[in-house]
Amino acid sequence: MKKYISVLMVSVCLVSVCLLCSSMISGCGKMKPMQEEGGKKQEETEKSQGNQNDEENGEGRETEAVLEFFAMDTFMRVSAYGEKEQAEAAVAAAREEVYRLENLLSTGLATSEIGQANESGGGMVSADTVYLLKRAQQLYGQTMGAFDITVYPLMQAWGFTEKEYRVPDAEEIEKLLEKTDAMQIMVDEENGRVEFGMDGMQIDLGGITKGYTSARIMEIYKEAGIASGLVSLGGNVQALGTKPDGTLWRIGLQHPDKEGYLGILQVRDKAVITSGGYERYFEQDGVRYHHILDPATGYPARSGLISVTVVSADGALADGLSTSLFIMGKERAVQFWREHADVFDMVLYTEEGELYVTEGISGDFSAEIPVNVIGREP
Amino acid sequence: MKKKDIMLAAILLLVAFLLFLVLRPKDGAKGGQIQITVDGVLYGTYSLFEEREIRVEQERGVNLIYVRDGAAWMAQADCPDGYCIGQGKIREKGQSIVCLPHRLVVEVTEANGDMAEEGQQGFRPPDAVVH
Repeated sequence: MKKYISVLMVSVCLVSVCLLCSSMISGCGKMKPMQEEGGKKQEETEKSQGNQNDEENGEGRETEAVLEFFAMDTFMRVSAYGEKEQAEAAVAAAREEVYRLENLLSTGLATSEIGQANESGGGMVSADTVYLLKRAQQLYGQTMGAFDITVYPLMQAWGFTEKEYRVPDAEEIEKLLEKTDAMQIMVDEENGRVEFGMDGMQIDLGGITKGYTSARIMEIYKEAGIASGLVSLGGNVQALGTKPDGTLWRIGLQHPDKEGYLGILQVRDKAVITSGGYERYFEQDGVRYHHILDPATGYPARSGLISVTVVSADGALADGLSTSLFIMGKERAVQFWREHADVFDMVLYTEEGELYVTEGISGDFSAEIPVNVIGREP
Repeated sequence: MKKKDIMLAAILLLVAFLLFLVLRPKDGAKGGQIQITVDGVLYGTYSLFEEREIRVEQERGVNLIYVRDGAAWMAQADCPDGYCIGQGKIREKGQSIVCLPHRLVVEVTEANGDMAEEGQQGFRPPDAVVH
C-alpha cells in the first residue's frame, strides 16, 4: 500500500512540475477572452494607462494619456506623459487646439478665416493666421517659389480637393498659373488684414498648418508641465523631450513602395514630416499624377525624388519644407540644406532607390539599405 | 520493486503526461488583438490569431477586414480613395489602418507574443510612423 501511495505522490509532483514549467515558458499571457461588442457609446476613444516606469526613475508614477480623433481631414493621435490628471488635461488641451486651428484655418470651411478670405479676395485675420501668412511668404522667398500658398486653384483643377480627378489641358493650366503668385498676397499685420492682389486668387495653408499645429501642441504641453509627449497629426509627427525613461523617440519612416520602413529615426524635441507623391495620386492612360504640384509649371513635380522627410525643432518649417524640397529635387535641396543646416535635417529617397541623409541626423538614422551621408561641404 | 509496481508507476506517469497535455495553458498566450472603431466608437475587439473576415457596414460605407496568422489588413472598402487597402498588414502594437472617408480605424491594441517574423531591424516597433 505504501508503495502505491508514494508512486501516486511522485506522479502528482510530476504533473505539477510539468504544469509549472509550461506556464513559465509561455509567459504570464493575459488571455483575454475574445470580445465582440457593437456600438458601445463613447465620445472618442480615450485611453489612460498607468505605466510603471523604470524603477530607477524615482519621479513617481508617470502615466500616458492618449486621445485619438478625426480632424483637419485626417486621423490624429496625441499623447503626453505625466501625473494622470496633468497628462489627461494636456491631451485634452491639445485636442481643443487642433479643433480651434481647424476652425480658424481650414480652406474647406466657408466660416474659417481662410474660407472667408478666399470668398471675398481678402479679409480679417487673427494672430495665428497672420503668423502663418508671414511664414508662408518667407518660405516662398527662401525656396524660390517652390512653397506657394496660391496654388489652390490648380489643386482644384486637377481635382485633388474634391477627389474628382482629371487632367486639365495646357491652356487651362496656363490661365491658372497667372493666378498662382504668392507675391500678390498682401498681409497687413498691424490691422490684421490680408488682401489678394488679383481676382480669383485662392489661398490654402494646408502645406504648413499641421506642422504649426503640432508646434502649438508642444507649447501647450510645456505650459501644462509635461516633459515628454508625442503627437501624430495625420502622419506628421512631433515629439517633446525624450521618452519618460530618457531614451530617444523611435520614429519609423513609412516605406513608399512596400510594407515596412524606409528607416528608423531617433529624435528628441523634433518634428518629423514627410512628403511624397505616392501619398495621393491618380492614374490616367497609364500616367501617374500626384498631388504635389510645382507652382512654376502647374503640373505634378517630377524631380527624381520619391519622398522627402524633414526633421526640425520648428514644426511649421518642417511641414513647409517637406513639399518644397520634394519639388526642388535633390541637387537644389542639398544646396538649400547647406545654407540652413543649423535649423533642419532631411532624408531623401530617390527614384533610383537611393537613400540620402544629412550629417546632422546620420548618427540617429538606421536603414536596411545603404545610406549616403550628405555633409556640409560640397 | 515487483513487476506490478513498475506497471502501476508507468500507468500513473502516462496519466500524468496526458493530464499535462490536456491542462497546460494554451498557445493563446500569444496575445495579439485588434480593435476596430468607427468615428471613435468601439465596434469590436478581435484576436489576431483567429482567422476571420470582419465586415463593417455603416452609413458611410462598407469595409472588409481580414485577420489571419497574427496580421490584419483591409481587404476591401467602397470608400472613394481606397488608400486603406494600400496600407498593408498590421501586426505590432500601435500599428493602425485608417479609412478616413469612413472614419474607421483598425488598431493593434495588444502585442503579439512572438517576435515579428521577418525580424525587421531588431525588432522593436517604432513609437510612431511618419507618412
